[in-house]
Amino acid sequence: MVLEIKKVTKNFGGISALTDVSFKINEGEIFGLIGPNGAGKTTMFNIITNMFPPTSGEISFQEDKISGSKPHKITDKGICRTFQNIRLFSQMTVLENVLVGGHCRSKSGVFSSVFRTKSQRKEEHTLHETATDLLALVGLSGYENVIAENLAYGQQRRLEIARALASHPKLLLLDEPAAGMNETETENLFDLIKKVQKRGITVLLIEHDMPFVMKLCDRITVLNFGKKLAEGTPAEIQNNQDVIEAYLGSEEDDQIA
Amino acid sequence: MLGDLLNPYYLQIISFIMINIILGISIYVTLSSGQLSLGNAGFMGIGAYTSALLTINFDVPIVIGVLLGALVAGVLGILIGIPALRLHGVYLAIATLGFGEVIRVIFVNWESVTQGAIGLPGIPHLGRELFKIVSDMGFDPDMLGLRNNQVVYLLVVLTLLLINIFIVWFFSRQNKSRVGRAFAAIKMDEKAAESMGINITYYKVLSFTQGAVLAGFAGALYAHVMAYISPADFAYHRAIEILIFSVFGGSEVIWGAIFGATFMTLLPEALRFISEYRYMIYGIILILMMAFRPQGIIDVSVIQWIKKTMKFKRGTDHGTGNKKGH
Repeated sequence: MVLEIKKVTKNFGGISALTDVSFKINEGEIFGLIGPNGAGKTTMFNIITNMFPPTSGEISFQEDKISGSKPHKITDKGICRTFQNIRLFSQMTVLENVLVGGHCRSKSGVFSSVFRTKSQRKEEHTLHETATDLLALVGLSGYENVIAENLAYGQQRRLEIARALASHPKLLLLDEPAAGMNETETENLFDLIKKVQKRGITVLLIEHDMPFVMKLCDRITVLNFGKKLAEGTPAEIQNNQDVIEAYLGSEEDDQIA
Repeated sequence: MLGDLLNPYYLQIISFIMINIILGISIYVTLSSGQLSLGNAGFMGIGAYTSALLTINFDVPIVIGVLLGALVAGVLGILIGIPALRLHGVYLAIATLGFGEVIRVIFVNWESVTQGAIGLPGIPHLGRELFKIVSDMGFDPDMLGLRNNQVVYLLVVLTLLLINIFIVWFFSRQNKSRVGRAFAAIKMDEKAAESMGINITYYKVLSFTQGAVLAGFAGALYAHVMAYISPADFAYHRAIEILIFSVFGGSEVIWGAIFGATFMTLLPEALRFISEYRYMIYGIILILMMAFRPQGIIDVSVIQWIKKTMKFKRGTDHGTGNKKGH
């Protein structure tokens, strides 16, 4: 078991964004977190990475309690995320973005950086190698020196994944990775996430593209109004009456309309 | 010949430029992690008074005085930085500006040590001390056809030049490293930087402290170049002046601070012939600047353009201009 969410509740003022949500993610899984807008999915991500603390409840990563650790410590432990509204370092080059991703896996300080000690040069070399490898993985080879904000939208999303992977996570959190992508881009993304899984990385993703989620995920948890509605394999979720009513049903209505 | 060129007045201005470059870089470093600090005049004062008092009262050599001045400013930078860096943007700017004023008021009121508003005269002069050393080594200004005071000022300029080269080298290298990338990441998106595993508190305090050390260092050098300091030298107008060096020259690149400090030091001197109007012109230039080029004179694209032009020129010299130009 990689991640365990135990009875997590989060209140913002009087509004409760999450109520007693629990689930477990097994090693090597692609785990989907779905639900209508405002169901609390991104809030769950923010709590896992401790951008803000839960009101109550606990989160364990590899049997180790992580709620309460600072965000950078959590990344250090092996959880890294992407953002729903892309948050690249927009004035940096593509390569530099991925190098920043390797920050917690390197340790050169001011003096070794300025005097370029042997270990610092070796470390930079490793960081560059990892970055080149990851850019090839996400299909951005040849874009190393492009300023990040000049990339096309789909490329920016993939760069964010490369940047997160540079921290060598054990668990990768993807917040709506397919949002705004066209069909080809979504297919490429599907392959990419499968490749990430093959590298031994567990993936937790939030996504609205239902066919994509159903095809990709091993297991799915459905949130609705901050509460867990159902959990299971894609087939189980698709046949779950509550889910169809709360979520998939409305989606179908949209499609008809 | 050489003797006519080395006018002590010009040499003095060049030394001010170099001190101002260090001050410009001090704010550039802090800005490079996205923190706007206006406390650098305060840190400059700390450096200046520390070194001045140590050299006057305890006969400490200037080198040690200057280094201790920078160190004390740095330690204070850490102490101020840890609580202050919880603040962002203008709030941080105002808090640090307040810090600078507190420091100035301490200098004014702690008369038993600082002699209050009268200031501290008789600070050992960097040039004259260096001159003593080179004279002892058997150097005679006549050998170069120079007068003693020309050599005194020349030694100051050369020392400051070496210091400047070292500082620029140091921070250019730091910029291109893991530390520089962490600064830039925090500047561009603090939350994303934190999520990428960057300890933002540590790096913010680091850049703030580096700025404090540089400002303290510049202040200590200033004390030994002027030989006289008073609290008025480190008032809030100084803080604004330092900020202008970096903002006018361009705060994205280290060369911006260097250009800004040079230009802004030369401008009032160059405009001396219209003395009553010079600060008006200074002000107008700033307004025009902010209206038409808010990122400052020198930004990344200017640097790239300069590099390209230089590469092209070098290329044509070797007869391969066409290849390199494309």
